[in-house]
Amino acid sequence: MPQSSEDSDALAERVVVLPKALHARPAGQLARLAGRHKETTIQLVAGEKKANARGVLAVMAMGAVAGTEVTVTVTGPDADAVADEAAGILTAAEG
Amino acid sequence: MTEGIGLVGIVLISHSSALAEGAAELVQQISGGATVVPAGGTEDGGLGTSTDKIEAAIEDADAGSGVVLIPDLGSAVLSARSVLADLAGETTARLVDAPFVEGAVAAAVAAGSGADLDAVIAAAEEARDAAKF
Repeated sequence: MPQSSEDSDALAERVVVLPKALHARPAGQLARLAGRHKETTIQLVAGEKKANARGVLAVMAMGAVAGTEVTVTVTGPDADAVADEAAGILTAAEG
Repeated sequence: MTEGIGLVGIVLISHSSALAEGAAELVQQISGGATVVPAGGTEDGGLGTSTDKIEAAIEDADAGSGVVLIPDLGSAVLSARSVLADLAGETTARLVDAPFVEGAVAAAVAAGSGADLDAVIAAAEEARDAAKF
């Protein structure tokens, strides 16, 4: 389904495998991404654990280690671009 | 971004200068550029808190949008309150009841993304209920 960046109901999903544990730095980057897109919700799911990317402490508390499959669900304006950026943060070799 | 001049600043008040400085360094990196100023130890570098250091840190952290003070333990609260009483009416600094590390991280991430003073305080206070794992 094509989505316009204006569409507040837009939804995008990315599934990534973490190359390394989800530490403080990427958690901070995700929270800042969420902070820049206030109308957009970034939800992370890893197994039983869930967190809204806005909550840096909740993301760190997921305790996601290298090899964990994380599903990123983004809803709201610019969902596709935000999902790409979130997936990029999660799969970056640095951090 | 907020309508303020700059980001909300954060002052970390600890009995130990090493603890305040280390926490500020960590939090600054996670938040990617929030203003986090340590105010740790006494004037002569011993363990304790210094009202002069706290007051100077508030000044350093203030970019026009307010300052959040996060104390490590109870008596840092007393020093911070005494500074706030001295500055009465001349500062937007607010003392928050939050865990030192988690509260600082949550506050700095919020401040770094342009949240206003109330939102930064709320983020710090919410950290009290955040499970570590």
